[in-house]
Amino acid sequence: MSKYIAKAAIRGATAIVNEADQLLEAAIADLGADKEVAFTNTAYYLPTILGFTGKEVSNLGQLRDVVAHCKTLLNEPPGDELWLPYLGETLDSGAATLLAAETIEAVRFVRGQQPEKIDGLQLVGTSAPGGPGYANGPIDDIQLRAWGIQLVDGRMPGFAAIVGCARSNEAAVTLIRELQKRNILVFLSGNVNGRSIIDQLQEEGVEMGYDTYIVPFGRDTISAIYALGFATRSALTFGGMSGGQIRDILLYNKFRVFAFVLALGEVDDLKYAAAAGAINYGFPVIADTVIPQILPTGVTAYEHVVSMPFDDIEGDTDTDKARRMVQRAIEVRGVKIKITDVPIPVPYGSAFEGERIRRADMRVEFGGSKSTAFEYLRMVDSDSIEDGRITVVGPDFSEIKDGGAMNMGMVIEVAGRKMQEDFEPVLERQMHYFVNGASGIQHVGQRDITWIRFSKAAVDKGFGLKNLGDIAHARLHAEFGAIVDKVQVTIYTDPEKFEEWLAKAREAYLNRNVRLAGLIDSNVEEFYSCTLCQSFAPTHVCVISPERLGLCGAYNWLDCKASYQINPTGPNQPIYKGTCIDADKGVWEGSNAFVYANSQQAVDNVSLYSIMDSPMTACGCFECLVMLIPEANGVMVVSREDPSMTPAGMTFSTLAGVAGGGLQSPGIMGVGKYYLTSKKFIAAEGGFKRVVWMSSNLKAIMADELKQVAEREGDPDLIDKIADERSATTVEELLPFLEEKGHPALVMESII
Amino acid sequence: MAVPEVKEKYAGRIQEVTLGAGSRGKTVAIGGESTLPFLHFEGTVANRPAIAIEVSDREPDDWSPLLKEAWGDVMGDPAKWAAKAEELGADVIALSLDSAHPERGNTGADDARKTVRKVLEATTLPLIVYGPGQKDKDNEVLVAAAEEAKGERIAIGNAEEKNYRTIVAAALANDQVVIAKSPMDVNLAKQLNVLIGDMGIPKDRIIMDPTTGALGYGVEYSYSVMERVRLAALGGDATLQQPMVLTVGYEAWRTKEARTNDEVPQEWGDWAQRAILWEANTAITLVNTGANLLVLRHPQSVALVRKAIDRLMAGA
Repeated sequence: MSKYIAKAAIRGATAIVNEADQLLEAAIADLGADKEVAFTNTAYYLPTILGFTGKEVSNLGQLRDVVAHCKTLLNEPPGDELWLPYLGETLDSGAATLLAAETIEAVRFVRGQQPEKIDGLQLVGTSAPGGPGYANGPIDDIQLRAWGIQLVDGRMPGFAAIVGCARSNEAAVTLIRELQKRNILVFLSGNVNGRSIIDQLQEEGVEMGYDTYIVPFGRDTISAIYALGFATRSALTFGGMSGGQIRDILLYNKFRVFAFVLALGEVDDLKYAAAAGAINYGFPVIADTVIPQILPTGVTAYEHVVSMPFDDIEGDTDTDKARRMVQRAIEVRGVKIKITDVPIPVPYGSAFEGERIRRADMRVEFGGSKSTAFEYLRMVDSDSIEDGRITVVGPDFSEIKDGGAMNMGMVIEVAGRKMQEDFEPVLERQMHYFVNGASGIQHVGQRDITWIRFSKAAVDKGFGLKNLGDIAHARLHAEFGAIVDKVQVTIYTDPEKFEEWLAKAREAYLNRNVRLAGLIDSNVEEFYSCTLCQSFAPTHVCVISPERLGLCGAYNWLDCKASYQINPTGPNQPIYKGTCIDADKGVWEGSNAFVYANSQQAVDNVSLYSIMDSPMTACGCFECLVMLIPEANGVMVVSREDPSMTPAGMTFSTLAGVAGGGLQSPGIMGVGKYYLTSKKFIAAEGGFKRVVWMSSNLKAIMADELKQVAEREGDPDLIDKIADERSATTVEELLPFLEEKGHPALVMESII
Repeated sequence: MAVPEVKEKYAGRIQEVTLGAGSRGKTVAIGGESTLPFLHFEGTVANRPAIAIEVSDREPDDWSPLLKEAWGDVMGDPAKWAAKAEELGADVIALSLDSAHPERGNTGADDARKTVRKVLEATTLPLIVYGPGQKDKDNEVLVAAAEEAKGERIAIGNAEEKNYRTIVAAALANDQVVIAKSPMDVNLAKQLNVLIGDMGIPKDRIIMDPTTGALGYGVEYSYSVMERVRLAALGGDATLQQPMVLTVGYEAWRTKEARTNDEVPQEWGDWAQRAILWEANTAITLVNTGANLLVLRHPQSVALVRKAIDRLMAGA
């Protein structure tokens, strides 16, 4: 907390409370204490006063209690010598300011001075009783409900209370348009040296009123109180709270009403005091002048007060600067923007995902055998990118002949408060689905083996390289809005830049591989659950650790971690490991407790690294099935794509009935195929060397990975010593094969 | 030899939810039990399962002729229909604003308000109001219905995972009850209850609809899902303790057995009897696995189900 702000806010609060006191006493002297007071069509009396104090004020006399209460909230400004915490005092003075401001507006209502007269102002949609030539004043209950529902259900992300006067009319219009574009409700009040943003918009012919989501409250700072009255009533209406439950009301606003204050122009004591009032609600203040900042978070979700001097904002024009200011405000408040449509010239949807573009129908391709394409998504600092900015660096494909190829690199930069470097590959991999959703576009591969084809039909409709960026931007916001705040895309075709970024991307891929290799169970605090399949296997819980991915192969530990961030109530929940019960078998207190609670108490002990002792259950979606072959002192691995007979005397589909359904059956379990390459693969039984039989298609598709495993196990020829359906479909055939090859399992200690 | 003690002691209890307030002549409480259905020896079955009769705001053109025969002319007027349903023994009126569906009339918020007002005036019973099941129209008409019926504590639905915010907001703003519908899955039901609860609506204003199939069309699956929901709830899982409502009439009357008598084997017997039993049997099955509120269509199945519930509650 800045002491400067504290002092100014306390001075401002003291002044306005005194003013309220004088105005009130004068009004009582003129009109009597019984004179009725009320805002426009509301059942919430004077709403801010009701919220803070529980008092249902309906006449002037009752306001005396309010002013008296305000005085108890005022404190001495912090001294220059004495250093004490003063956040509390500042917030109290903010509260006093709000109550005093509402008192003043109530008195003005009684005297017919509110809503304020503004010559020539014609509102489109208003509840103000004055008709044309008046500001709106407070929002009535009917409009509150209509907008409140949209705020609660998320159609409207929040509101912006703009106080003061923008640098120029151009800046004022841009600010408003940028907010409107994002469906953010705009409240206007205040002035700087007699000139208000309301005047600016009026001069520029911007329509104001309920219908355009722009509500001019009045031309002085005090009228900004109507914004907080609106916020208070939101909590009372939609939060089920009653007057006086101020703590709940403030918390409701902090967590559910995404509002912020834009302070334009010079900030005087009263504005500081009002800002302190807004901070009580968790609404941060962004000023376009040089003021002391309050950056640490606490009362607000992120920064409290941010100074963004207009002259220092990057940009050539006031329009550019205003645009950036709105962007920053949205970040500070954490407002999430929804993008529903993908703005590209071809149809878009998951129905197009499977589409193939044949060579004859192809206009151009990136990657494949004749060129290189890569995709690289990286996390960057929020200040370094601009959301929605899409740039193509280098020529487009107009010079490439039909059916030709071209090098292309797509660099996607994302920023977000909840983004983590670990999520980069999770998000990057989604590009495959995202790009494939466009009709006439085909996407294969990932990283630097990306291969994208544009069809002639899509290019004829106007599809270009930039549209790849549009897709990434729209879809990342739509699918990963919980972790991504900003997305900027740069597409490189310029040969020099392409090479430069390809090198950077490859370095990042390498670093990720190293990170993944280092990501081991003993280095993390939590595993993740997956209960997606409980609809048909009610007692099955997948425990997903860095070294054991989900048995369906679709979810690894990082995917689950991201999924949990995106959907905190979803099927992937963190499982805190807790005390280790058995390090060899992979048993922890935390995983046991979680599985017990989530398997309808059917399973109370799970070994992550053992097939013989309390193996993990399976739903039925497993990529491979691992089963004990006691005669061979080892296990076989059957791929779900393998229809042939196995040495167990049963085919995959028969065996699957035994392994699935959430039952714990020692000696048989379902796994994801990449678990085979893990160091923890049935580690309790001796690991991969136990594999005596494996479907040949697995050997083929995982040839490289399995070779590495064999080397790691110190037996480079191990894969050749493993039988498959071509060499053995019975135990009688299997044993001589293993003898002949000298399979290590035969001499290992007994598995049973 | 001593008889072994078989009583279970459950840690959890089903939330009680009351429908109806204000001008309603009667209120209906559902839920509140501390044991599995009708195990009166073991715990309390605080409230008997209630029966709602479904009333549409538009003369249904896809309902069985048997239903048209049973209700007659009132089917053209939701107010008269509701009054007759009350007469025939409904505890609750389930008003379906089906005419708001874009392909079935596309009526809007104003029509919804008028219909709700009319039906509120025609009956003293508490109301459930269902939207047409199309996202945008649900949001439009349910908000209007919730506002129009402010103070009457009606239930509005369905709030589903893909579309719950607006409906819950409307319930919050107007003190109504919300129906949380999930597709036959314990975890999805749980998740939706959590999401809806996160919006700040109190637990005594959420009813869950875990979705059912009719007899022969998956009732055993929903039986099992509901059984698991109930066991988890009684076991102490607070996110599953909401009472359950099921749209049995809708499910039963779209089965081939109930819908038609064309080209069916003779041994299927009398059509009307078969159709009514189909609905009643589905309902009674589900009551035995924890259904607290049943939405039915035929007056005779209402009578049959009521009789069965009377007997099941006899030991209370």
